Amino acid sequence: MLAEALARHRWWIALTLLGIAAAAVVPFVLMPFHVRVGQMILLSTGLGLAWTLLGGFAGYWSFGHTAFIGLGAFAAGLFEVNALGTEFMRTDPLLGFALGLLAGMAACAVAAALVAWPILRLRGIYFAVAMLGVAQVLSELTNSIEAFQGSLGLVLPRIPAFGLRTEAVFYYLLLIAAVIILAIAFLVKNARIGQGLAAMREDEDTARMLGVPTERYKITMFVLSAALTGALGVIYAHSLGYITTGSVYRTDFSLNMIVYNLLGGIGTLVGPLIGAAIMVLLTQVVLGSFLNLHMFLTGAMLVALVVAAPKGIMGGLAGTWQSWRRRRTAAP
Amino acid sequence: MLAVQTIADGLVLGGLYALAAVGFSLIFGVLGVVNLSHGAIVMMGAYLTWFVWHTTGLDPLLAIPPVMLVLFAFGYVYQRGLIQLAVDRSSLLASMLVTFGVALMLRNLLVLVFSPDFKSITPGYAFNYLRLGEVTIDLVRISALAASLALLGALAWVLNRTRIGRVIRATAQQELAARLCGVNARHVYGMTFGVSAAFAGASGAILGIVLPFAPPDEANWTLNAFVVVVLGGVGSPSGALLGGLVLGLISTATSQLIGPAFPNAMMFLILVLMLMVRPAGLLGNAFAASR
Repeated sequence: MLAEALARHRWWIALTLLGIAAAAVVPFVLMPFHVRVGQMILLSTGLGLAWTLLGGFAGYWSFGHTAFIGLGAFAAGLFEVNALGTEFMRTDPLLGFALGLLAGMAACAVAAALVAWPILRLRGIYFAVAMLGVAQVLSELTNSIEAFQGSLGLVLPRIPAFGLRTEAVFYYLLLIAAVIILAIAFLVKNARIGQGLAAMREDEDTARMLGVPTERYKITMFVLSAALTGALGVIYAHSLGYITTGSVYRTDFSLNMIVYNLLGGIGTLVGPLIGAAIMVLLTQVVLGSFLNLHMFLTGAMLVALVVAAPKGIMGGLAGTWQSWRRRRTAAP
Repeated sequence: MLAVQTIADGLVLGGLYALAAVGFSLIFGVLGVVNLSHGAIVMMGAYLTWFVWHTTGLDPLLAIPPVMLVLFAFGYVYQRGLIQLAVDRSSLLASMLVTFGVALMLRNLLVLVFSPDFKSITPGYAFNYLRLGEVTIDLVRISALAASLALLGALAWVLNRTRIGRVIRATAQQELAARLCGVNARHVYGMTFGVSAAFAGASGAILGIVLPFAPPDEANWTLNAFVVVVLGGVGSPSGALLGGLVLGLISTATSQLIGPAFPNAMMFLILVLMLMVRPAGLLGNAFAASR
């Protein structure tokens, strides 16, 4: 199945590898500000892809995925500061960061597995609102339980720079993360589980009747999606250097993950990249001077999108392409 | 005596929750739309009342009718202009996204116009209180509870006894049949949304005199409304009242017994338990669609 999928998508894969190679030289040619914009695009792409593992493939739209950004960030931070200690982080920062990353991902995976059983029994809007609740509750607990230092803030240990500038280090980390998530999403989509998920998205009851282990599939995807989102949360937190509840549990993250997918085309693999690139360029570069209007613009963008292009750019392109082909073949 | 005091506080808060949730419940029941901007409309009500009170010195309870009128108009236009468009062009889930987007826009606007700081409305009688045995209740809280109950009663009367109420209920039951009987369903949807927004605004006004408020609270009020609806059932003022009172009691008892950080966590736990054990709500209607 995989070999066939690789062959079928060889042009896309070649294009992706070319894109990755091009992305890898960016920090050497562009200005630091533009590298930061690149960083944001990579983070957003990764988040969009991690969200789509559950939302796009299985049709379970989470409205509270920022829960895992925050949980990953705080779990990793507290682990590095309290369990490993500053001494360990100073002598071996790379190993410390790797362990922190694992801790953050593990925390998200465990949390997701715990809430999966009750809330994945809910569908559609009920699941979406339940996830909104998960994010809200986690952020409140982080904020009000003193040991988590959510309101006070947590200073994260620095990670080694390998002679690169700071923004370049995080750029590469996020690039690696995004590529890994893309590869995972590709594998999932073209494996047996991907077919099962697609069947579930169309009609869960029928899929179940036909023998698709829906319960196992959706829990797997939820845990996977949570752990990957958590990994991005850990990297993002380190790039900030100092985190509070408000800086990692951000409602606009939850919303944006959906927006990138909607804008690009939901359920596709290029969709999140297109969506993230457009949104980041629009909000950071074009509208960069209206920082206090960011939330407003994100909201307005979302509203305009749902009303004007419900299938997203890729969906719209695919529709146009198909109708063009149909017209050509229909013509005498 | 502490227990009685907790119950009294819980009931006051519960009345407020019920009033804040009843509009959400109505929209959900009639249009099938989950309005994630409901909390933001509640906050709009609070800020409008604060603005009226701050500039003219009008008693906040007297400011409720004009605030309701303004928000009714807002709700009507919002539904006819945007929500209906989203439902027509894609799906109910997409319409929920639209309301999510609008919630963010409103929150941002409130921050820009009124600053992100906490505000509170303190009328002249804010520090008077009533003593019944050993339980003390501020006059503000009593008037808040009374106003909440009166408004809920008024809505129940409108829904059950007036023509527009009958039309709304008919449309909720069977849109097609209602339209065949000559009901302009779209107008009814707009009216329902307007009524919902008006009551959200009223609850905002009352919340403003009981608690300090800030724009980001909107998320909490939306979630509260959802929990109230899950507890009490969809679409009826009595369900909202029951759900609201239960939620108010749970919330005050939790902060009293476990700690002030946990009411929301407890609420969420109860939400999940309810959805799993009794998805039809305590009064038992219309949550079958949740699984």
